[in-house]
Amino acid sequence: MKLILPRVSICRMCKWILLILIGFLFVYPFIKLVFLSFQTKQGIGLANYLEIFRDPMTWSTVKNSILVTVNSSILAIVFGGFLAWVCAYTDVRLKNWMQVFVFVPYVIPSYVMTIAWTQFIGPAGLINRWASTMAGHKMIIWDVYGLNGMVLLLALTNYPLVFLITRSVLYRIPRDLELAAKIAGARNIHVFRKIILPMALPGLAGGGLLAFISSLDNFGIPSFLGIPKGISVLSTFIYEQVVGYNSNNFAKAAVLSIILGIIALLGTAVQWFLVRNSKTDQTFSEDRSIRFSFGKYRLIIEIGIWLFFLVTSVFPLLAMIQTALIKAYGLPFTLKNLTWSNFTFILQNNDASQNAIKNSLMLACATALLCVLIGTVFAYWRVKKPTLLAKAMEWAITLPYAIPGMVLSLSLILTWSEPISGWKPGIYGTTWMIFIAYMTRFLVLQIRTSSASILQVGEEVEEAASIHGGRWLTRWKKILVPLYSPGIVTGACLVFLTSLSELTVSSLLWSAGNETIGVVIFNFEQEGSTTYSTAFSTLIVLAILVFIVTGSLVKKFWIRRVKL
Amino acid sequence: MKSMLGKKAVLLLTVSGVAVSLVACGANPTTQSKDSASAASEPSGTLHFYTSQPDADAAALVKAFNKKYPNVKVETFRSGTEEVVSKLLAESKANNVQADVLLMADAPTFVRLKKQGLLMSYKSKEGSGIPANLKDPGGDYYGTKIMATVLMVNTNDVKSLPSSWKVLTDPKTSGKSIMPSPLYSGAAAYNVGVFSRQSDFGWDFFKQLANNKVTVSKGNGSVLKSVASGEKDYGMIVDFMAAKAKKQGSPVDFVYPSEGVPVITEPVAITKATKNPIAAKAFEDFILSSAGQKVEASRGYTPIRQGIKAPEGLKTIDQIKIISANPDQLETTREADKKKFGEIISGK
Repeated sequence: MKLILPRVSICRMCKWILLILIGFLFVYPFIKLVFLSFQTKQGIGLANYLEIFRDPMTWSTVKNSILVTVNSSILAIVFGGFLAWVCAYTDVRLKNWMQVFVFVPYVIPSYVMTIAWTQFIGPAGLINRWASTMAGHKMIIWDVYGLNGMVLLLALTNYPLVFLITRSVLYRIPRDLELAAKIAGARNIHVFRKIILPMALPGLAGGGLLAFISSLDNFGIPSFLGIPKGISVLSTFIYEQVVGYNSNNFAKAAVLSIILGIIALLGTAVQWFLVRNSKTDQTFSEDRSIRFSFGKYRLIIEIGIWLFFLVTSVFPLLAMIQTALIKAYGLPFTLKNLTWSNFTFILQNNDASQNAIKNSLMLACATALLCVLIGTVFAYWRVKKPTLLAKAMEWAITLPYAIPGMVLSLSLILTWSEPISGWKPGIYGTTWMIFIAYMTRFLVLQIRTSSASILQVGEEVEEAASIHGGRWLTRWKKILVPLYSPGIVTGACLVFLTSLSELTVSSLLWSAGNETIGVVIFNFEQEGSTTYSTAFSTLIVLAILVFIVTGSLVKKFWIRRVKL
Repeated sequence: MKSMLGKKAVLLLTVSGVAVSLVACGANPTTQSKDSASAASEPSGTLHFYTSQPDADAAALVKAFNKKYPNVKVETFRSGTEEVVSKLLAESKANNVQADVLLMADAPTFVRLKKQGLLMSYKSKEGSGIPANLKDPGGDYYGTKIMATVLMVNTNDVKSLPSSWKVLTDPKTSGKSIMPSPLYSGAAAYNVGVFSRQSDFGWDFFKQLANNKVTVSKGNGSVLKSVASGEKDYGMIVDFMAAKAKKQGSPVDFVYPSEGVPVITEPVAITKATKNPIAAKAFEDFILSSAGQKVEASRGYTPIRQGIKAPEGLKTIDQIKIISANPDQLETTREADKKKFGEIISGK
């Protein structure tokens, strides 16, 4: 009895703390938002909804949004899933380097990606100029402005999410199953369809969902590629409402954000439906051995993959560096136009950027740490006890990631200025505000990645430990954390990287002294100092890449030593 | 019910306590604004300054101000005009306006803030140097600079500078020009309001622009990039950005077209909620004074006070032919103007 009692109370306390934390951090701002959407000049009413629903723009915008988001997510799943499989299972070479280049499009700011792509395949871009010269008259093969370009760029920005989650799931699929199937006479394609695909589904669906909700709220890409073509999606339409400065503009933005939130929830429902009966197995460790050989096609596959990286990662990266090195935007890239001064300005003459690096590092570490703790506990609870309450809470946690950054920050201002009437905690206007915002926005990244790992580890493992007398703490320490760790670490990395370069939320919530990297880049970009913003982005992206490379080298070295 | 709430509050405190201790090691000590309505007439204390000026420009202004008043600590929040206004309105909705002094955007935006009761009326002793049509008669806000919207061209592609806005409606430039969207940029919304009210432009001008396939992009920044990179040949853009890019060596040049140019004035105002009116007034006075105006000029803006030299490449206020409209009226019709613009451009 004595043994069981503390266990129950710890569980119960955890549950309550989680409930209250989630209720206050996630549900409360959303309730404020919903409340706001009903506020009209005449008091509480449906006027805003009616106005929005009657506007034909709303429906064409919703249609564009769904079209763009669904297609870009499918594409992201294809890119991310295939590359994850290649990196986890096959005999291609230079996997470590491939994994570095997967990250590049994810950490490069959207506006840099769009600049690079318009230079590459815009109306006056490289490819179309070349095509015009070849044809002898002006011709446009393909133009990145418009719906197709938005789909492609959103897919490229988000496929790393699918890649990361799927890869850590793939490593854990037991080889025995495949061997058993093969012995029983199954061909490769059958093994893939009957074993690998169903078992990788938590990863593909979890990553796909993240890609789906990230592209739903993405503002940078549709605002650069859609607006010039007159195409609006929900995120840009919401921005237009917010900056309308009308008396009921926030209310209208709130209505639209709720529509956006509902679409995101539908995406979550689809994901549940997919992983509902997903297969699990007792998994004991990661298996990183080569399971599939491309044989004589290996070189072709490798060339294909590197061409893909060349176009999707190396090219934008080079375009960014090129802009950062030029004296003035628009000058040709020749030796006499080059300068280091943009970099020296960022590193030496600008207090804000040094402050920002310090603040962002601190915020990203703190956010990642707390997300790991809360996110993993929640993911475990949600997977093991899929009650209605847990599902509802998961939805609540998904929302802040889905609604546009600007709307989230506005509702956080409304919430945290005076959380309970008469109580002004003084959080708004301090670093705490940004920390809370990052927490609420990025927790879902941790939960998705941790869940994908937890979903995959069979119930039997824990039962076995329990039967052998392992207590709650021991079970976690000795068995669960080691088994879940690939997912946990992946999640922490995602949260860290995302917080480090976050742009929109901080641009509204920062105040003097607590500027973040995103704020500084956003400000440079807004005042037309593209050379500075690309220089700063270059430094950050290179730092992240160095971090990843060192990380994987250290890991490799470590594994080798352990094996010896 | 009450005890439930109490329980929740206690738990919340515990939880936030845990959270605090988790990150406290790295947290920045953030200075809170202190209520400095002390009897001392010498301005002191903290001043929250919300602005859309570029970081370096705002910093230069604050630095010059601090030379005169070293005891005032100015905390600057800088973002795009649209973001600053949204933040301010959200703060006002939450009854927690932190800003003391605002400096951004255009007169109609300030008319709106005034109507919403956010501004404090202050008859600045420096206000007499500002032309009457560029400030609020009640003293709620004053223009601080002249930002004209000009015609910028890419010098690689356009060899002779045009002199009229009408070049944008010329079939020869079809598909070659770009302008910022009034749905995203307040300055662009102002321009649409002004142009549509001129007898020689009107809404017809925008219909012709639409027929001539003008591209509408997000803001002035994207116009600059598009013209500088040669993707487009002509762009409507705010003068200081064009001048800065030209000075740095981008292949662009610009003109003040002969019909006249719309100008926005980035007004300054003190909020009604200010906790430090003495310092706020001193700051506003300084910005409008000759010394403050010289700082603006040194940062590349056309000063609004007559008799102060404009920066190289820009015209002074009395050399510019300004086209304008009544700010009160522009404020009232801004939503309708934007809607109409959207319909014309999308060809409805």
